[in-house]
Amino acid sequence: MACTSRRTLIAGATAAAGVAAIGAIPAFSADARIEVSSTWGADKPFQKVVDAFNAKKLGVTVTNRFDGDYESATAKAVASTAAGRPPAMMTTGWKFGYFAKRTLGARDLREIDAGKADAILANFRPSLLPLVTIDGAVIGLPWAMSTPITYINSKLWQEAGLDPNLPEMPDTKWLYENARKLDAALKGKHPTYRSALALSNNEWTSQSFIQNAGGFIIDPDGKLALNSPEASAGMAEYCAPAHEGLWLPVSAKDQDAAFESGALAICTTSSTRAATFPFGGAKAITARFPGLAGHPRKMNSGGNFLAIYARSKEQAEASLAFLEFCASKEGQTIWSEVGYLNTSIHDVPADQQFHEACGRAACGRLDSGNHLAGQARPRRPGSLAQMGFPDAAQGSDCGRGHEGRASRAGSPGFCVSRCGPCLLACGCWSHICSWGQPFFLSRFSSTAR
Amino acid sequence: MGPAVLSVAVFLYGPLIASVALSLLDWNLLSSEVRFVGLANYGAVLDSVDFRLSAWNTLLYCATLIPAQIILPLILAVMIHALRRSPAQGFYRGCLFLPTIVAYSVAGVAWSWLLNPVSGLFNELLDHFGLPRSRWHTDPNLALLCVSLVTFWKTFGLNMLLWLAALSSLPQELREASQLDGASPRRHFFTISLPLMAPTAFFISVTTLFHVLDDIVGVIDVLTHGGPAGRSSSLLYYLWQQGLQFFQFGTASAVAVIIIAVVLAATWLQFRVVEKRVHYG
Repeated sequence: MACTSRRTLIAGATAAAGVAAIGAIPAFSADARIEVSSTWGADKPFQKVVDAFNAKKLGVTVTNRFDGDYESATAKAVASTAAGRPPAMMTTGWKFGYFAKRTLGARDLREIDAGKADAILANFRPSLLPLVTIDGAVIGLPWAMSTPITYINSKLWQEAGLDPNLPEMPDTKWLYENARKLDAALKGKHPTYRSALALSNNEWTSQSFIQNAGGFIIDPDGKLALNSPEASAGMAEYCAPAHEGLWLPVSAKDQDAAFESGALAICTTSSTRAATFPFGGAKAITARFPGLAGHPRKMNSGGNFLAIYARSKEQAEASLAFLEFCASKEGQTIWSEVGYLNTSIHDVPADQQFHEACGRAACGRLDSGNHLAGQARPRRPGSLAQMGFPDAAQGSDCGRGHEGRASRAGSPGFCVSRCGPCLLACGCWSHICSWGQPFFLSRFSSTAR
Repeated sequence: MGPAVLSVAVFLYGPLIASVALSLLDWNLLSSEVRFVGLANYGAVLDSVDFRLSAWNTLLYCATLIPAQIILPLILAVMIHALRRSPAQGFYRGCLFLPTIVAYSVAGVAWSWLLNPVSGLFNELLDHFGLPRSRWHTDPNLALLCVSLVTFWKTFGLNMLLWLAALSSLPQELREASQLDGASPRRHFFTISLPLMAPTAFFISVTTLFHVLDDIVGVIDVLTHGGPAGRSSSLLYYLWQQGLQFFQFGTASAVAVIIIAVVLAATWLQFRVVEKRVHYG
């Protein structure tokens, strides 16, 4: 009879456990680790994109590092690049395009792997690629894009007895007039109402006013043009409600808080708020950002691109693998939860909860009560055609809308058949620059949002 | 001595020398292109309207906050010291010191809720009493005062504790002797206690200048971002904006060198003028 000593038993068990452990290791071990400096924390959909990629165990493990806003993240990138340890990747605000390429040394994706880069970029709308092409190099994915739109507290609007039929193309004359009516009807009489309007006290929305008035921040010749009559007219129109007492300019956070609490009736801010405002206390409905009567609409956009800064070949290729996932339909579907516009060519389905609730907020609220159902056309935030994406506009089909195509929030019956001239449609972004950053001549029109 | 000297060299004199060097260069820290520009960065800074406004604001902050940060904590310390035999003393001391340990981000959020011109508590109270609403920190004429108020609330606790410690260390016999001689509490304070606390007063006056310059930056950052239209900015905040928001390291370094020179001069003046009147023994 074979006799097994305790030592042999322990050795055998250890060996068996070792073999089992080795067997449990996936075929593709996580042998490359990259860090993405981002403006989103662990509670945001970007983390879900990272987690979904890591779950695939493709031999690359990505870590999302929240580095604050675009300025903070860029400042940290400057410091780490100076120390010889640039972040492998960073979500870089559009306004930092030239800075990313010329100073931080964002990599040309095609230089890393031309074939793979072209395959990745083919997932995005061709009209957007010039935005991520700096000095002839493609330095990232057009990752996040938003545009300012108008949010209206549906209850306050209704209680003030205002016309539920919102115009297709609102202008400041209409907006300010309704703000005056709101103020007259509710000020001092309503428990939560405190202020009629907020246009967002920042360079983004004011730039829209200047553009809509026919002016420029930097003109086509590359000169500052803020003192032009058109720019002055745009700013005068922008400031008018503040002078009139309809708008109390506050910070973005204060503005959001006031709107959500029902203290503020109307606010114009990023289309990304469409992921939250319709579901909050304000039950927001949306309309386009106001244009200026008698002027063509020239809206601007914000957001960021996802760029690679890694110097080493392995890190750069690992980053490209992550970008491949980000560009895929799966990655874009997860990413769509954040509320940015769909920059990809994929038919990204709208999040069901967002879709339903936003649909309710868009049409149900105004249609409730004494209002006729169907009078208020459902307005979905963030339509690409609204921004004027050429292919989205061309593909518009009134009556059928851009369901799952032009807009990730597209809903049946939503019609966006028209769009005014805009940056992306006319291809004129090269002559418009971010306000307030004169030394970073951004080729994109807006500051990041 | 070795580690201490090394740390001072690396973390104090090193950055100081680097700032002076950077202020004479046009360099973004990353590029191989480094251009010597002499005093051009200083010229650009001194010509800047924003810099001059920030400098003026800094002067106003100092004029408002330094006396407030010295005198009001002293009054509070005297009041708390009067309760030295009461268990309430610890409670008051803790409550008044609490804001000092609150993070700037938390304090900023709390105050922005209170001051929010649209839906803030202060305006609701004004409404309740039939008074006109205010724009508070978004009003160009009130922004600086609001930042001063929040800065004071956030930082007076440390000076209060220092005064309290000084009051507690005064010999009890002197108090009893002055009482026997019929001195009023007021006379006792101004002729006996205050002169005996002169070293503490001098220390507080020197450090309060540094604290005011430093502390307002955190409040400005979370409350006003220097606005509206730069009306609440300060020199240090302007420096931060130039360096870490606009990445103009040459300009930022020039501002840093100017601030260092001003603070050195002010501190030298304090030692030269005030220290002679301080009795350490």
